[in-house]
Amino acid sequence: MKSIRIIIFISVMAVFTSCEDYLEPAPTSVISGASFYDDEAQLMQGVYNMYDGLQGANDTSSRSNHATQIEYYVTEMRSDNTRSKSGEGEAAQFDNLAVEATNGLIADHYRSFYNVIFRANTVLQNLGVASETNKAKIEGEAKFIRAYVYFNLVRLYGAIPLLDNVIGVSDDASYIRRPVAEVYDLIVSDLNSAVVGLDNNNGRNRATKAAAQGLLAKVHLTLGNYLDAQQLLESVMSEGFALEPSFSDVFFNESNSEVIFAIGYASGLVQDSQNFSAEFLNGVGRTVGVNYVTDDAKAFMEANGGDRTVVSMRTDPIQPTQTQVIKFLPDGFDGGSDGKTFDFDARLAGNDWIVLRYADILLMHVEAIMGSSSETNAAVALASFQKVRDRAGLTDPATSISKDDLLAERRAELAFENQRLYDIMRFGKGIDILGSYALAIGANFTSNDLLLPFPQIEIGLSKGLLEQNPGY
Amino acid sequence: MNYKIKFTFLVSLLLCLGTYAQNTISIKGQVSSSEDNEPIPGVNVVVANSNNGTVTDFDGNFEISASAGDVLQFSYVGFKTQLVAVDNNTIINLAMDLDDNLLDEIVVIGYGTQKRKNLTGAISKVKSEKLEKIAVSRIDDALVGQISGVNIQATEGEAGSDPTIRVRGTGSITSSSSPLIVVDGIVVDNDFLGNLDMNDIESFEVLKDASSAAIFGARGGNGVILISTKNGKEGRTKFTYNTYTGFKKAIRSDNLYVSMQDWADRELAATGQISDKTTYKLALQNDRDYQDIMFDGGMIESHSISARGGSQRTTFSTSLNYLSDEGVLLTDNFNRYSLRLKVDSKVGDKFKIGANISPSYSKRRRFDGSTHDVLRQPPWLPVYHNEHTIQFVDRNAYPDVQVGDYAVQRHFDNFDLYGDGGQTDISTTSNTNPVAKILERDRNDYKFKLYGNIYAQYEIANDLKFKTTLGGDYSHTKRDRWQGVKASRNGVAATRLDLSNGKRLHIVSDNVLTYDKTIGKHDINAVAGFSAEQWDYEIEAATGIGYTSDLVRTLSGATTIAEATSEEYQQRLLSYFGRINYAYDGKYLVSLSARRDGYSAFGPDSKYGFFPAASAGWTLSNEDFLRESKTVNFLKLRVSYGLTGNNAFDIGSGDFRNQINSYPYLSLIGSSSASFNNSIVNGFNPLNISNAGLGWEKSVEVNPGIDFGLFNNRLTGSVDVYKRTSEDLLLDVPVSYTTGFPNALDNRGKVENRGIEIELRTKNVIRPNFQWNSTFIASRNENELVDFAESNGLITNVDTKRAAEWINLVGNPISSFYGWVVDSEIPAEYIKAPWERVRQTNRDVYVKDLNGDGVIDDDDKTILGNPYPDLVWSISNEFKVGGFELSFIFQGSHGAEVRNIGDQYLFRQFGSASTTLPTAPNQGFIKQKIFTDSIVQNASYVALRTISIGYDLPEDLLSELFISNFRIYVTGQNLMYITADDYNGLNPESINNTSPINYGYQRVGSPINRTFSLGLNLNF
Repeated sequence: MKSIRIIIFISVMAVFTSCEDYLEPAPTSVISGASFYDDEAQLMQGVYNMYDGLQGANDTSSRSNHATQIEYYVTEMRSDNTRSKSGEGEAAQFDNLAVEATNGLIADHYRSFYNVIFRANTVLQNLGVASETNKAKIEGEAKFIRAYVYFNLVRLYGAIPLLDNVIGVSDDASYIRRPVAEVYDLIVSDLNSAVVGLDNNNGRNRATKAAAQGLLAKVHLTLGNYLDAQQLLESVMSEGFALEPSFSDVFFNESNSEVIFAIGYASGLVQDSQNFSAEFLNGVGRTVGVNYVTDDAKAFMEANGGDRTVVSMRTDPIQPTQTQVIKFLPDGFDGGSDGKTFDFDARLAGNDWIVLRYADILLMHVEAIMGSSSETNAAVALASFQKVRDRAGLTDPATSISKDDLLAERRAELAFENQRLYDIMRFGKGIDILGSYALAIGANFTSNDLLLPFPQIEIGLSKGLLEQNPGY
Repeated sequence: MNYKIKFTFLVSLLLCLGTYAQNTISIKGQVSSSEDNEPIPGVNVVVANSNNGTVTDFDGNFEISASAGDVLQFSYVGFKTQLVAVDNNTIINLAMDLDDNLLDEIVVIGYGTQKRKNLTGAISKVKSEKLEKIAVSRIDDALVGQISGVNIQATEGEAGSDPTIRVRGTGSITSSSSPLIVVDGIVVDNDFLGNLDMNDIESFEVLKDASSAAIFGARGGNGVILISTKNGKEGRTKFTYNTYTGFKKAIRSDNLYVSMQDWADRELAATGQISDKTTYKLALQNDRDYQDIMFDGGMIESHSISARGGSQRTTFSTSLNYLSDEGVLLTDNFNRYSLRLKVDSKVGDKFKIGANISPSYSKRRRFDGSTHDVLRQPPWLPVYHNEHTIQFVDRNAYPDVQVGDYAVQRHFDNFDLYGDGGQTDISTTSNTNPVAKILERDRNDYKFKLYGNIYAQYEIANDLKFKTTLGGDYSHTKRDRWQGVKASRNGVAATRLDLSNGKRLHIVSDNVLTYDKTIGKHDINAVAGFSAEQWDYEIEAATGIGYTSDLVRTLSGATTIAEATSEEYQQRLLSYFGRINYAYDGKYLVSLSARRDGYSAFGPDSKYGFFPAASAGWTLSNEDFLRESKTVNFLKLRVSYGLTGNNAFDIGSGDFRNQINSYPYLSLIGSSSASFNNSIVNGFNPLNISNAGLGWEKSVEVNPGIDFGLFNNRLTGSVDVYKRTSEDLLLDVPVSYTTGFPNALDNRGKVENRGIEIELRTKNVIRPNFQWNSTFIASRNENELVDFAESNGLITNVDTKRAAEWINLVGNPISSFYGWVVDSEIPAEYIKAPWERVRQTNRDVYVKDLNGDGVIDDDDKTILGNPYPDLVWSISNEFKVGGFELSFIFQGSHGAEVRNIGDQYLFRQFGSASTTLPTAPNQGFIKQKIFTDSIVQNASYVALRTISIGYDLPEDLLSELFISNFRIYVTGQNLMYITADDYNGLNPESINNTSPINYGYQRVGSPINRTFSLGLNLNF
């Protein structure tokens, strides 16, 4: 009889433990998404998450998304403004305009920004839970971010896969390149929604109406819609933004009235700090030094920068033949006599990355008025232009502004702010300027180099569906 | 019964014995071998259950006094122990039979045991006597070359690091192809191997085929290693003391060092002059092989004391072990203390209980850096400044550098070589001094582990037993990593402390019914049970920064807590299983088993997997037509078929790795944060592409085999042929970045492993005073990706920074190296500055236009090799001459290749100096070496894994000292190690831990160790 009792005991145990819950322990450190985005508060956390995506990870893992923290490689370092210090490794592919599809930074960049688009699309897909009061604002914020990213991607890669909602794996949409015009249609429509939905009460680190207007203006300038651009810019100009009297305060006094939109970082925190400030110095970051000033840019700044020159660059104290970008000195500290001694971890810097500031608005205003003509002497244009130059200490009044003057002024004002490559392309000078720059540094250049290659891994995954840009 | 009566009884019993003992006779005789009738000297002859014993003399003669009714026990190594009852005969001549008990031995199988001769599956056994003589710190390192089909590779050479173990090749495409480890019947995590002491092990059994492993269903897919620890035996308590001490040295590579003078000579020969830079480097008068510093050698030391014994009812085994292994690298160090207690007790006739507990503590100082980073340093760079080198320091930039400080390359910039105001730079990096990076960091892992179980077994009826076991292990791991003031070029700004604490509680409840019955010629053994397992993890980690000195290395000493994280997660497994083994007349053998497993990480409808297996055997040698055969002593044919599973997968990296590994079927959302006007806001970020259908990876295996014993069992062995097809592989498959994610978990693809395994054991010479045994083991495995669905042809890289490619192409091994084929080297005149850096080789090569279309593009890439060995073998020999024993094992591996990215570091292919000039012809045909077969190198090797000479002191000498066994030995590991000619690195076995879809990546790694040690085993 004892045996029967034991068998009963075993069966009871078996029944107990086979209780389905046993095999479905609930996660306690993360949230199971099945029920997430239930209410507006949760949706707002999705909104904040877009900015986390833009920040990018501050680490060395080649698998992390570094987003904005590596953007200078694919923009500024591909222009005539900057290069790597050593001319070595995959970073130098950008200097030499010889980027390869296997370049890890390309993969990182592409992956990071499509991840931000995914984050924005996640918000947009769950808009239903937002209250009627805030819906338009949340929508505007997500669409602003999406448009910002697509605008950068379309300028860097040309025709790109265009996703306006969250997609699953093995979706052909991942690899089908949509015409540039179609990409711009979405960008314009997103920014229009953002202009309507947003207000100007979001601070400088979040999307605002002015940021959306300014960005849309730049999109219109790129598309040649000068009148639309001018209207938008003039609307921004009526919002109370102003140039900081001191150029250096633009970068080192973060609560200033010039910055319209900047990606926010906070010092000393692994999750929210940035590394690029350290990377631009000599052996302070994880590389030996990148985004160093080219001889071309150095000469240019010395001739045309005015007061901006000393705020924008300096001679590398350790290697006097080299010139460093100093607009983003880690938390504003200069690193002492050797330019690399800090009493805090400079790799965890808190400098924001400025995306749009008032000086850019003013110069775009000139550009919009000039339109397709090669110069302008319109008073409003001259006024905007002069404001920027006056602040730089270049007070002799301009009487007429040519396209080249404007491009040069943009170069001096916005040097090392990831604007140069986009500017010369928008001004139709890509082949001219980069061609002669390449010649000067002994690099090969063709018009194919204006666009980046798609990452080799995407080409591999697409099984021939994703067509590589020519020349790669 | 009161005590008085007991006492009286005892006394009379003793008196009785005493009386009995007086009635002795003297017995004489001679002992010889039944094989050749030669006398055997040194045979132990004892009166059973007494201290009365003797040893045969040189002619095999003995004399002993005993009483009628006593039993004499004759024992000698290599022969069967024989018992002879004493009657009135005073002469006992005995012919001892050779011990061919290999086939009679008991083999542990899952949830039970079986006689080897009745096995129908492919199971290999290694007894610990074989391994105790190998002085290595980890038990798995000792298993190298011992078992066919088991490949153990020291992929990391750091002291205390885990080797990679593969049973019958890489089946799974996921990160886990490691076999399941079961200690005394309880599944443990693989890292437990590092905490077990060799001296505590009784035996290893490796279940290689699916039919044997299927009882572990779920996780048997990659084979099972069963470890039995030593039990106490009834009788006098026996003590053992085992110890060894050894020296370790790294096997260095001659490729990695070129002296300054030699380099200057080469430059002179090639260019007719010596450049300023070289002149300057020579002037520094420093010529250092950084291998000298990195590979500083080490010592290994082990002590183990144990006591085992017990009464009729209760037996116990306890031991205390200490190990110190100072690795060959500069800072690697491993210390382990462990204690073990095992008690078994019979409570009444039918009830048995037992407990087993073993705490261990280990401390491992890590080599916190990478060998490639140090070894690529130029020979002219001093570690510390001396009176000479200090003169060259650029005082404008480095006014404070003093003699004794770490030197960095930048110190030597801007030197006025000719006193003419000109400046010469030789630095190529502003990197910190490489030795400082290692020495000024302190990184340790401290592990406390407690493994234990208690069981109760009840005999419900004759032949029917129920056993319930509650077991588990608890581990606490603390890791700290200190980066001091001098550890980085950035000084105090980069000081940092990373601290983490991880706790894991793993509990197993096993409940098993066993039925064992022999009815006439029918032997039946049946097992049924269920098991529940759970793992609970907790991890906390924090990073402190902003230390001003090396003095206070705590989080409280930090000025800023840069990061603090914590997480918890759980995994659970629920299983039901059963098995029937049936044998008829010892001739016909059948085994059927099944298991159903549920795993918590799988989707709601795919949690459970069902894993049946069947096997059959036919012992031909028990048939009449072979029974009398003199040639064939044993012959068995067997075949098995079974299904096993795999639930182990690992997405490999990321902040939320553990969460995704535990709950991949759910869409997970984790915390994120952003900074708005310098205040931090929390967001929530989707973490994964969930897969609600994620389920078991399954393997089907067919395994015919043959076991044989020939010529009086002088030649025994087995041959197994197998084909294992694994499908629905658990894979973290790369997906388009446009999804928002780089990877998604999926069941995908099919891999086949086919192979043959041979084990031959021969007794070449069996003389009483000379014995020679040999073992030959070989396994051949072929791995093929049979199906990879839409991922077929997937091309990936390990690291986007060194983007050498791998391809997963159907019809080829799981992962193959992919890229261009080298056509020719670029002539030196087209290299920018071919002599600028010592040991520099050019970065690029000309590659072949395989399709002949005149351009080099993706279409010219091809498969360049694969990382899987075709043949792994070992030959061991054992000689015994009197008390001496000599044994050695040669082991080899052939056909594997590695992608040795180390070349790029060590031969300085990064630098701008090694790039190709634009003037080189055929620019379109130039590619970087890392994308070609230039760095795909033959990883074959032949090693003298172990050689050992031992001496057992004669027993007659020892018995006076109350010592039953005293053995001293010297042993060496890897005294010979031969690698392929085209292999440039330090260790062909070294492989960086990567996903199976791009396996075989080597980045210098750590060297092979050569160990020489002296040991002592003492039993009393």
